[in-house]
Amino acid sequence: MARLSDLSSAVQKVLQELECPRFDRQPFVRGPPLNRRRIALVSTAGLVRRGDKPFLAGEGDFRAIPAGTPARDLLMTHASVNFDRTGFQRDLNTVLPVDRLDELAARGTIGSVAGRHYSFMGATEPRAMEVNARALQRLLLGDRVNGVVLVPV
Amino acid sequence: MSALAHYLEDEGMPTVSISLIRLHSEKIRNPRTQWVPFELGRPLGAPHDPEFQTRVLLGALRLLEAGPGPAVLEDFPEDAPGAGRDSSWRPEIALPVAAFAPAAPPLLAARLQAEWKAVAPWYLRHSEATGRTTAGASRLPIAECLELLAAFVGGAAPASPDPALPAVQVLRYAVDDVKAGYLEALSAGTGSPSSGQMQEWFWDTAAGSAIVALRSVLLASEDKRSQAIGRACLVPRAQLERLGLA
Repeated sequence: MARLSDLSSAVQKVLQELECPRFDRQPFVRGPPLNRRRIALVSTAGLVRRGDKPFLAGEGDFRAIPAGTPARDLLMTHASVNFDRTGFQRDLNTVLPVDRLDELAARGTIGSVAGRHYSFMGATEPRAMEVNARALQRLLLGDRVNGVVLVPV
Repeated sequence: MSALAHYLEDEGMPTVSISLIRLHSEKIRNPRTQWVPFELGRPLGAPHDPEFQTRVLLGALRLLEAGPGPAVLEDFPEDAPGAGRDSSWRPEIALPVAAFAPAAPPLLAARLQAEWKAVAPWYLRHSEATGRTTAGASRLPIAECLELLAAFVGGAAPASPDPALPAVQVLRYAVDDVKAGYLEALSAGTGSPSSGQMQEWFWDTAAGSAIVALRSVLLASEDKRSQAIGRACLVPRAQLERLGLA
């Protein structure tokens, strides 16, 4: 499941016709070996901590998720209904692999785990996220992050 | 998702993206991308499979050391385990009504509460077993979410339960909470239904039928926010197709 051909024809059509952003420049930033990287996860699942403001459709802002936030404190408030949520309901790591990342840090495969992970809401116009993504960079640097894994839904 | 990688990398941050739609990654050409052949909504592939999840995550992380750029796109070589339909699975929750005999308000409210009475023990069982629920965006108990749903389907304009948000926005979160409650309840049973089987079960309940009816109500509204929520935030396209409403 998940190749385009596995999806319903209505979903296929939308995905095939979706306009993708094009960029003039193609930045490619290098870094140290994996075992010296401090890694943050950035999800687009519309995740919020219980009690935080849920996402609104089209919102380009992000929410911080402090490392160690219990799974029971996270909600998914993505506006789209066209993806599975039962995986998230059963196991947070299906969407935000925080436990797997902690294990890789404990093993020494990566250097360390960031103090905070972040969530945007996908299905948002890319330009609406740009100013917030660039602002997020400052938070990541302040946390000494030098590697980000972007995780969609 | 892919635009975020570009913006972060443009600011000097190395990134790797997991991709669920290879076609989009081919077009956007981010610095480093691992495409995974998994269901939308499951970027790590499978719940409660730490070894598999680790292989997916590690595959992506290793691309941080890949070069030479400017765009590296690799395919994860495994399919997700347990994603297929389980033909032996049967739902264990005994629902009290035939959902597709449409109930007009005010009968609808009573029908939804009667159905929830049958579902709720399974929901509580799931919550107790896992220590969590993913319902809660509306900040209303699920029974009250169902009341709000029935009120909107009946054409009422209830006051917003949250003064900071329009009632229809709280309704959107309430619908998400209803879905979460029902699907978590279904997860409390035995067997391993696929997500597709779980969705089909839900959309054949009275709650699912009421959400389909709500979609029609909101689409007919003159309020643009209501129209947008009706169009995009209630019923999955795959279910509209299955129900002959696409």
